[in-house]
Amino acid sequence: MSWLSRLFSSRKSAAQLDLAEAQQQALAAWRALPAPDLTRPHYQTRYIVVDVESSGLDMNHDRLISIGAVAVVNGVIDFQDVFETILRQDEVSTTDNILIHGIGGSAQRAGIDPPDALLAFLNYCAKAPLVAYHSVFDQTMIERALQRYLGVALQATWIDLAWVMPDLFRERIDAQVSLDNWLELFAIENIQRHNAVSDALATAMLLQAAISRGGGRGAKTPASFVDTEKSRRWMRRYG
Amino acid sequence: MSNSATQMLVTATSEFLRRFPPFDRMEAEAMQYLCERLKLAYYAKDTPIVTPDMGVLQHFYIVQRGKVLARGRGEVGVIDYSTMSLSPGEAFPIGSVTAQRPSTNTYTAVEDVFCYELPVDDYFALMRMSPTFNAFCTQYIASLLGQSRQQLQAEFAQRAAEQQTMNSPLSSIIKKEPVFARPETSLREVIGIMAAGHIGSIIIVDDEQRPTGIFTQSDVLKRVVLPGVALEAPIAAVMSPDPHTLPVASTAYDAVLAMALYGIRHVLAVDEGGRLKGVVSERDLFALQRVGLRQIRQSIETAPDIGLLCQAAKDVRQLALNMLAQGVGAEQLTQFISALNDTLTRRVIQLNLDRHDLYGIDWAWLSFGSEGRDEQTFSTDQDNGLLFICTDIMDREQTQLRLLDFARDVNADLDRVGFPLCRGNIMASNPELCLTLEEWEEKFLGWIRTPDPKALLNASIFFDFRPLFGQFHLAHRLRLTLLKATQDNRLFLRMMAQNALSVLPPLGRIRDFVTDADIEHPGTIDLKKFGARLFVDAARVFALSSGVAATNTAQRLRLSGAALKVSSDESAGVVEGFNFIQLLRLRHQNFELEHGRAGDNRLDPDQLNEVERRILKEAFRQARKLQQRLKLDYQT
Repeated sequence: MSWLSRLFSSRKSAAQLDLAEAQQQALAAWRALPAPDLTRPHYQTRYIVVDVESSGLDMNHDRLISIGAVAVVNGVIDFQDVFETILRQDEVSTTDNILIHGIGGSAQRAGIDPPDALLAFLNYCAKAPLVAYHSVFDQTMIERALQRYLGVALQATWIDLAWVMPDLFRERIDAQVSLDNWLELFAIENIQRHNAVSDALATAMLLQAAISRGGGRGAKTPASFVDTEKSRRWMRRYG
Repeated sequence: MSNSATQMLVTATSEFLRRFPPFDRMEAEAMQYLCERLKLAYYAKDTPIVTPDMGVLQHFYIVQRGKVLARGRGEVGVIDYSTMSLSPGEAFPIGSVTAQRPSTNTYTAVEDVFCYELPVDDYFALMRMSPTFNAFCTQYIASLLGQSRQQLQAEFAQRAAEQQTMNSPLSSIIKKEPVFARPETSLREVIGIMAAGHIGSIIIVDDEQRPTGIFTQSDVLKRVVLPGVALEAPIAAVMSPDPHTLPVASTAYDAVLAMALYGIRHVLAVDEGGRLKGVVSERDLFALQRVGLRQIRQSIETAPDIGLLCQAAKDVRQLALNMLAQGVGAEQLTQFISALNDTLTRRVIQLNLDRHDLYGIDWAWLSFGSEGRDEQTFSTDQDNGLLFICTDIMDREQTQLRLLDFARDVNADLDRVGFPLCRGNIMASNPELCLTLEEWEEKFLGWIRTPDPKALLNASIFFDFRPLFGQFHLAHRLRLTLLKATQDNRLFLRMMAQNALSVLPPLGRIRDFVTDADIEHPGTIDLKKFGARLFVDAARVFALSSGVAATNTAQRLRLSGAALKVSSDESAGVVEGFNFIQLLRLRHQNFELEHGRAGDNRLDPDQLNEVERRILKEAFRQARKLQQRLKLDYQT
């Protein structure tokens, strides 16, 4: 009945989670951070591009295994400012799944205690806007894990490049396509496909292109990317 | 932040950079240092990355993806690359960053570009840390691309070290104390000194020993004897005043230049105070070269027999090597070799005309292929034919037999002189290539009508014909027929274009060069097949389509470029690319010949230094540009 227990456990609040003192302090420090100003220009913004690997593609039942993140700060990627964590798994994912992301059974078991892993992630992101390609999946996986292990509702601003890119580069691809299509178009080499950091870096390079293009087209801020995404989604639904 | 993630990206970056020089040779520790400090930035198409008005630069850039175009502002250099494109793995702007000054070039993204950026402080730290990187940057600055010729020059100067070169200072050329006289010295006295010392010229100096005039042997006749000037007159009355002087530190080359510029035979070397130190005559400078152009020409033109011509042929090569050493460009050099080979061939023909009676026949000796294009290199075999006029069809057989007899002897003699017989039998002694004007025209038109692969191959050899001896106007008539038949013949030109596009520049996607096109010689590039020919074939199509009569590739490119409205900068870029490849061929052949091997065209790019590799790459890019233009024009 693991799914049932997980369902219930995800409803727990932080107080019920028995977090250690240090963990509670870290969480409080994160909560105290101010919300980001999404109306500042791209070139004065810290974006965090994330990619997750999980035990499968079922957003409701599969478990978060790793998070990779690359910061794009003032338009530039600094290899010193990147993040990766593997959450310790009690139950190792299937062999087929391992073949996808390459995080083997022992690596999964040797991962970091999930609350600490997630606290490290929160500490890395602070309250920066988060960016991903097909972000719903990343967002759901991360939010669920935060809720379950830390009792935190993330409430971050998410930007989905799968919607923003075709709006900015209509002359190239004006449709919802896979990440690989965009990477190919920009000749971006993915170092190691399905490695969370590598995918995040590739996505971050796409964000650099988006920032540059957006700047020349009136989409000069994170907020404008959010609007772009909203209107694209709306158009798709009703247009 | 996160060590494992950082290390992964650093490793990936390092693996990427290792594909390119100088990173492929860089010390592991320095590489780690570099990759840990790189940041990645994006530049959209047409965005400037570095401009002169950005001031002193804060970053050093390495292209990660896409192409960056460098555009200079009135760059001066021997080879003037006004624009240059940079590909992944190439770094910029090395000179400006090192010198801590604003960039002289503008660097623009011509595609979507990702660039690694290294803060300048880290750049200097890396320079201190890595001898490889340091050598690369210093070498780069020392030569600053486009001045490759000077590098080649330095290399050859060493080989020609036993001889004095044009770079020697005048002080090393002056062997004798100068002979001089005061202005008031009488003519009689001056001429006496000259006669006694067997001196050709005397310098007139003032009290400070500064030259005020010069008086030479030839002046005696024109200025003294003929006008009947009294021998008691002071020398000042008849001397040439204000002789040309050069500082004693100037080079032989400066002296040659001054002589050519002012039409003078003597240059006076003076010290800082303007005092006479010596006299350099035209003859002194010619003596610099063991063999001089004029002498060789003369010895060829007056050689009484084939034996002496053989010696002259050797001198041609020696002289060509000297010129290579003195930094003469490939275009001039190949033309020069062709010109001297022409002279040799003409002399061989002349000598044979003494033994063969061709009276009453109008004929022209044609050369084909590289000789026809004035592009001969050191290793060159015969490619020739005969063209004649036959007014009476009944005489044709007889006339051809007489010419063939003559041609056989010429071919054999040319072989002895150093032009091996053509393996493909493209020689005037071949009855197929000893034809009347009408027959040649029919042959050419046949190839144009039915452009099968064989015909196209023939076209690429024979259409580059050039008359060498005899009635040149016959060859011009053939040229007119050819141009008329090709100029608006889209079908034929398209087939020629397709043929020209069948070989691509050996530029690799990952490595710089494709070096495995020839299975028998891995690791090398055939600079003729995959280099020069790319330009030659394309230039031929452009020339034939725009009615350009020239056969020389550089000329064809310039003239047809003008006719096809290609900017002269662009044409010049292509020509420079071609010339650089020719220069490498010459150098390589010379090296092979010196080591007793048949001079081939197979170059190992790993043997090139960094600058040469970059320029060779640029040369191939120019070939690619040319091919793209061809593709566009003929929709192939």
